[in-house]
Amino acid sequence: MRGYHPKFTAWLWLVGMILIAVLGYRALSKDWLETSFLALLPTSEQNPEIAAIVQQRDQVLNRKLIWLIGAGDSTSAIRLAEQLKQTLTQSALFSNLTLQIPQQKYIDQYQQLFPLRYQLLTNETVATLNIDPKQFIQQNLQMLYSPIGQLQAANLEHDPLLLFSRYFNAAHPLKFNVEQGVVMVQDAGRYWALLLSDLENNDLQLDKLEYLQTLVENAKAHIQELHGELLVTGVPLFTAHGSQSAKQEISIIGFGSSAGIILLLLVTFRSIRPLLLSFLAIGSGMFAALVLTILFFGKIHILTLVFGASLIGVADDYAQHYLCDSYGVKNWNAEKGLRFILPGLFIGLLSNLLSYAGLGLSPFLGLQQMALFSAIGLLVAWLTVVLVFPLLLTGFSFEHVPGILKLTRHWEHSWPLWLFKNRRKLSLSLILFVTGGLWQLTPQDDVRLLQSVSPELMAVTEKIRSLLPVSPEQQFFLVSGQDQEAWHQNEQSLTQQLNALKAQSALGHYEAISDFWPSLKQQQANYQLLKDALYDSGLTEKYMLNLGFAHNAIQTELQVFKTAEHQTLDLNTWLEGSDESKQQLWLGCEHGQCRSIVSLIGIKDLSSVSALAKLPGVTWIDQVDQFSQLFKRYRIRASGLLLSAFCLAFLGLSLKFGWRNAVIITSVPLASLAVTLAALGWSGQLFSLFNLFALLLVLGIGIDYAIFFFIAEDRRASTSLGVTISALTTLLAFGLLALSSTQIVQAFGVTVGCGIITALLVSPLIGLKHLHQS
Amino acid sequence: MRLKLTLLTLLWFGICQAQTEDELNQISAHLSQATITQGAFQQQKQLKFLRNPLNSNGTFVYHQSKGVIWKTLSPVPSTVIINDNRLLTDQGEQAVPAAFGKVFQALLGNNLNFLTEGFTIAVSHHDAVWQLQLEPKEPLLKKLFLHIKLSGDQELRQMELEEFNGNQTQIHFEHITHPSELASEQEVDFARLSP
Repeated sequence: MRGYHPKFTAWLWLVGMILIAVLGYRALSKDWLETSFLALLPTSEQNPEIAAIVQQRDQVLNRKLIWLIGAGDSTSAIRLAEQLKQTLTQSALFSNLTLQIPQQKYIDQYQQLFPLRYQLLTNETVATLNIDPKQFIQQNLQMLYSPIGQLQAANLEHDPLLLFSRYFNAAHPLKFNVEQGVVMVQDAGRYWALLLSDLENNDLQLDKLEYLQTLVENAKAHIQELHGELLVTGVPLFTAHGSQSAKQEISIIGFGSSAGIILLLLVTFRSIRPLLLSFLAIGSGMFAALVLTILFFGKIHILTLVFGASLIGVADDYAQHYLCDSYGVKNWNAEKGLRFILPGLFIGLLSNLLSYAGLGLSPFLGLQQMALFSAIGLLVAWLTVVLVFPLLLTGFSFEHVPGILKLTRHWEHSWPLWLFKNRRKLSLSLILFVTGGLWQLTPQDDVRLLQSVSPELMAVTEKIRSLLPVSPEQQFFLVSGQDQEAWHQNEQSLTQQLNALKAQSALGHYEAISDFWPSLKQQQANYQLLKDALYDSGLTEKYMLNLGFAHNAIQTELQVFKTAEHQTLDLNTWLEGSDESKQQLWLGCEHGQCRSIVSLIGIKDLSSVSALAKLPGVTWIDQVDQFSQLFKRYRIRASGLLLSAFCLAFLGLSLKFGWRNAVIITSVPLASLAVTLAALGWSGQLFSLFNLFALLLVLGIGIDYAIFFFIAEDRRASTSLGVTISALTTLLAFGLLALSSTQIVQAFGVTVGCGIITALLVSPLIGLKHLHQS
Repeated sequence: MRLKLTLLTLLWFGICQAQTEDELNQISAHLSQATITQGAFQQQKQLKFLRNPLNSNGTFVYHQSKGVIWKTLSPVPSTVIINDNRLLTDQGEQAVPAAFGKVFQALLGNNLNFLTEGFTIAVSHHDAVWQLQLEPKEPLLKKLFLHIKLSGDQELRQMELEEFNGNQTQIHFEHITHPSELASEQEVDFARLSP
């Protein structure tokens, strides 16, 4: 270490940190926190056009909140709903709040279609006319004489064949009770008023999400006081819940690890300096990680921060190893200490970086962020230790006997000897434990594990779904064709099959625009069908005569029909007059492809619905399933990654220490991995892609501990102290992750915790030779 | 305007509350309350633009918990089965607003109190003979119906619906009985409503 000047390196560090602080000032003054859980998912694997369609649809759905306000009678429900609407309007969170549905607007819009009734036949009408036109007339008479005819008779004057009534009814299959303009649903004992809302922004910031949650909670309490009940659901609430629990976890983990570290350091060193130095290393690392991650990704996800909070425990390791090195050495000085500890610190850093780099290779934005965050955090913490500590540790001495030493002494001395003595029994039980555990290990690849879901919110969502069976499933069909005619034909062959599934109760409802807008060709065919079946045959005239229409009324009808011959209605005009939910189904024509969505409601038999994707021009879109498949693929890939990381580490260690020693060193991480996997199997804990990434960390940490013992030789006491303290802090941090309500985060915590404990128990076996000699 | 009204009929809006319950209670006290009510009906629908009224007749069965079977026998046979949330016709299941089934059941089941929810009600009665005139409160419904007149004694005997556009419907109820059990074919019809 010639040419090494502690003051120079410290200055270097200071300049670097100032630079980061300046960058940080700019980065943190913008909106830098991402809370949407969709942002964690990869998009690159999909056809970009389909990905764009899915994203567009998600954005629409992700803004929607459905509110049902319940009371003992409908008037009170409406009154409460009106109050709520006012409160929500004042909140300025919503761009759209619909309580009174604009009935008049719908009616006016539909009125425009009335002249086109001869072209807009429903599929059922066409089928009946094709089979037997007399049957069609018979149906009309049945309707007119039955009590439902009350609703139809008034139309008879202008639409004697009731063509438009049929069309209108088919276009509105679900009818709701409307009181004072408000849609009402009813269950045992309660009337529910429906309020629909769209958030102004589909990517709400954390403070707004919290505001939304408070708004919902207050409204619930207020309505309950007035003996009502409020049910609310919507993606933003799920996001809000997820973010809130993430935020809580960040503070629990951050506070827990900090408190643990403070306690440990004070007890061990009985001095404030190591404490301040540790926090300098951790603080610089975390701050640099935050700033550079935001600069690189534009925003940082809240789940990255949850994970990042656990880094406190790892980033602290370097400082601990250094500080503990001073123990038990007479005339210790910072420079000499660094010289001794540097190779270990360096390999430790490398193995940590190697394991975090593994996270970066996944396609998940969240994991990439975690990888970069952790890598930078560790690197900067390491640099702080190496560049600044020598200066700041000048004159530091550590000569008292810390209480914890009794424990570490036992651990590094008596424990490995005991293990060695009982090696036969222990190896046998280890083998049994590991094989039994691995046997029971079953992977799970459900994408929904990413988000923490409150059971209460799930229950409310289910209840709303049962009261109001209108919300589309997240799965849907994408139908395309090279032009409108081809698209129409493809969508109609799909809906034919969907109707069959509806009849078998495999599906509740579906919505497809081609059912309500016949293609231009079909419109002409419809007119021709009416002409042949009912008008030219004289059936219409006879029917009207029998009902008692006046002679001139009959002539007028025949004339109106004749002049309507060449009318057509193009798709865009039709869409303009239809409601929003139908407009959103049409995706337009682009690059020689016309596309639409067929949305599905109440899927009972998923496999027979999804099997329809074999029809021409039909694509089945199931995001959840697709992501789960992706998780599975990456779980398998990550297993390969773990294996290659292990081999790489082995190779590196062989080059440095020879292959025999490499076998000894890597036996620690190998044992940790095996025991951890087995423990997951025995306990039935979640085993997914994310556990594998956690195992990468276990690999890094295992190698770390093994190396420190390997190079300890006669300094086992100080080494064991360093390893114990760093293991305890890491354990604390990741152990706290196990408290997370997000399943994957929890699995991560459990996996790392288990791995560290095993590594801690096994690593003193390294260097047993020296133990025997001493 | 005409067309708008017809579309309004198609949408069929629900009903809301009113308060004249006392007088109705008096009438209700006279009305026979039974699990099953059945009888025959004569319906005359007078549409302004038709030279002759549309006359039809048939039978009906009301069951307190199961709903209503309305069978038109002449001139065109058809069957309609209704309960709180479903409506079956010869042409398959149709979606209709819940209010439709409810009003229907309220009338046939002599459950007049239910009507207070949607109409302003004028009541007149001499001894056991009563008459109700119902005017819809809902503004959109007002554009459709002028009023509905109901009259009866221990039973509902006649119903008259006057529409805003001059159309008129009259239904007479006859041969009303209260059997203690449904006939087996009626059971079969109601069974079609259960999913």
